[in-house]
Amino acid sequence: MDPKVNGQLQKDWGLLLAIYLFLGGVGGGAYTIAAINSFLGKSMELSTTIGLWIGFPALLIGSVILIADLGNPGKFILAGLKPGTSWIARGVWIISLFMVFSFLHLVLHQFTEISKTATGMNVIAILGIIFAILTMAYTGILLGTSKGIPFWRSGMVPVLFVVSALVTGHFSIMLGMVIFNEGAATVSQLSFMAVEAVVVVVVEVLAILFFLQAAYRQPDARESVERIMRKTIFIVGYFIMGLGVPLVLMLILRYAMTESGLSAVLGVAFIGALLGLIGGLLLRLAILITGALPTLNMAGFQFRRIARPKDLKPGIGLTPPQ
Amino acid sequence: MPQYGMVIDLKRCYGCYACVMACKVKNHTPPSVFWARLLKGERGKFPNTMRQALPVLCMHCDEPSCLEVCPTGATQQLDNGIVIVDKDKCMGCKACIMACPYGARYSVEKWESYFPDGLPLSEYEEFAKKHWDDNSGCGVATKCDFCLDLLNEGKLPACVEACAANARTFGDLDDPDSEISVLIRKYRGEVLNPELGNKPKVYYLAPR
Repeated sequence: MDPKVNGQLQKDWGLLLAIYLFLGGVGGGAYTIAAINSFLGKSMELSTTIGLWIGFPALLIGSVILIADLGNPGKFILAGLKPGTSWIARGVWIISLFMVFSFLHLVLHQFTEISKTATGMNVIAILGIIFAILTMAYTGILLGTSKGIPFWRSGMVPVLFVVSALVTGHFSIMLGMVIFNEGAATVSQLSFMAVEAVVVVVVEVLAILFFLQAAYRQPDARESVERIMRKTIFIVGYFIMGLGVPLVLMLILRYAMTESGLSAVLGVAFIGALLGLIGGLLLRLAILITGALPTLNMAGFQFRRIARPKDLKPGIGLTPPQ
Repeated sequence: MPQYGMVIDLKRCYGCYACVMACKVKNHTPPSVFWARLLKGERGKFPNTMRQALPVLCMHCDEPSCLEVCPTGATQQLDNGIVIVDKDKCMGCKACIMACPYGARYSVEKWESYFPDGLPLSEYEEFAKKHWDDNSGCGVATKCDFCLDLLNEGKLPACVEACAANARTFGDLDDPDSEISVLIRKYRGEVLNPELGNKPKVYYLAPR
C-alpha cells in the first residue's frame, strides 16, 4: 500500500516475464545451434533434431506465458499492428517470423524426405538463424530500452542475453541428447558439444563481468549491482551452480572421461546441462527483480528510498522500535 | 493550442500530502496507486542537513519515453501536450511503467480493499471501484492526466486546487505572459533529472 518511491525496486515484472525471457533464449539458442550443426552433416544429426524440437515449442510456450502475463491479454493482437512504433511491436514480428521459420525447418527435417543439404532447406536454416539471433537479442533489448530502470539501460544487456541464450540453448540440447541417447554416437557428440559449451560459458562469464562493471560505474545503477551481488539466486544459483559447476563438468566430460562408461558420461552431461539451464532462468530473474527506479535530483537534494529501521540490523545504525 | 504544464514552488511546499489526497479523492485510485506522490529528500551531512518535500506526478514530457515503448498506441500525446492512456487499447505489458524514470505509471491486477483482513468493500470503495473501472481499469497502465475532465470544464487540476500553500501553478507554457511562464523565467524553474532528455513539463522552483 506504500506509494512508489524512487530508488526502490520495480515490482511489475517478475517470475513469469523471467520465464518468458528464458524460454525465448532457450528457443533461439537451441535453434541456432541445431541449424549450425545441420551444416556439419550426419555426425551431428541427433543434436540437430533435438535442437529443432526445442526451438519452436520453447518459443510457443514462452509466448503463451507472456500473453498470459499481460494485464489485458485480449488486446495482444494490437501489438502486431504497429511494427514500426516500439521494440515490443517489432519483437512480435521477430518472434512470429522466427516461429514460422523454425516450424518449417522442423517439419521439413522431421517429416519429409527432402535432402538436408537442399538449397531450400539451407535458405530456411539461414533465415531461421537470423531471426533466432534477433529473438535472442530482443529479449535483452526489451530490458535495454527501459529508461526507468538504469540497471537495465545498457548495451551489454542484449549481448549478455544473446550469449546466455546460446549457453542455455546448448545445455537444453545436451539434456535432450542424454534423454534420447543413442549410445556411442551420443557420447561422441556430447564430447564435441562439451567443447562448444566451454567456449560459450567462458564468453558468458566475461559478458556478465563486463555488464556488472559497466553498471557499477553508473551511480543510478550502482544500488542494483550491490543488490544483485547480495542475491543468493544470483551468486550461488547462477554464478556458481549455473556457470561455474557446468563449466567444470564440461571440462571433465571432454578431457577426463574419454575412457568412462556411457552411464557416467550421460550422468555428468545431465547434471551439467540441468544446472546450466536453471542458472539461465535465475540470471534473468535476478536481473529483473533488482531493477530499481533512478534517484530524482533537485537543488542538491536526493529524492530516493531511505532505509527504514526494519531494513537495518540491530546494533548498526538505528535499532528497530520495540 | 496551449501546451499545459505545471510549476511547483518547493519553497512553499511543506509536504502536507493534500495534493496526494486530492488526487486520490478525485480519481478514486486503488490503495497502491498514487498518481500524485510526495517524496522526501535529504541534503548535506550530519549535523548540517536539510530535509525537503518533493511532490511528484506525471511530468507530461515533451519527449515521453512511455510513448516510445507503447506497442499498441494506447499511450498518446494530445495536441495540448498532455500524455494520456487509452485504456481500450492498452494490453497491459507494463513496458511504459519500466520506461518512465519518474515512476509516474501504475498498473493493478485487481481492486483491493483499503481495509485489512479481507473485509468486504465499503460503500465508498464500491463507488470508487466502479469509477476506476469506468475510467482507468485493472490490468492496464494508468497515470495522471492533469485532470483532463476538469480542464475541459475550465477548472484546475485537483492537486492545484487543493494545495494549501499555493505551491502549484498550472497554465500554458507556450504563452510567455502566463503566470507559469513568468514564474519559470523569473525564478529559473528547473525540471527533474534533465539529463534523461525527456523534457518534462512539470517545473520546480528550487527550495533554498
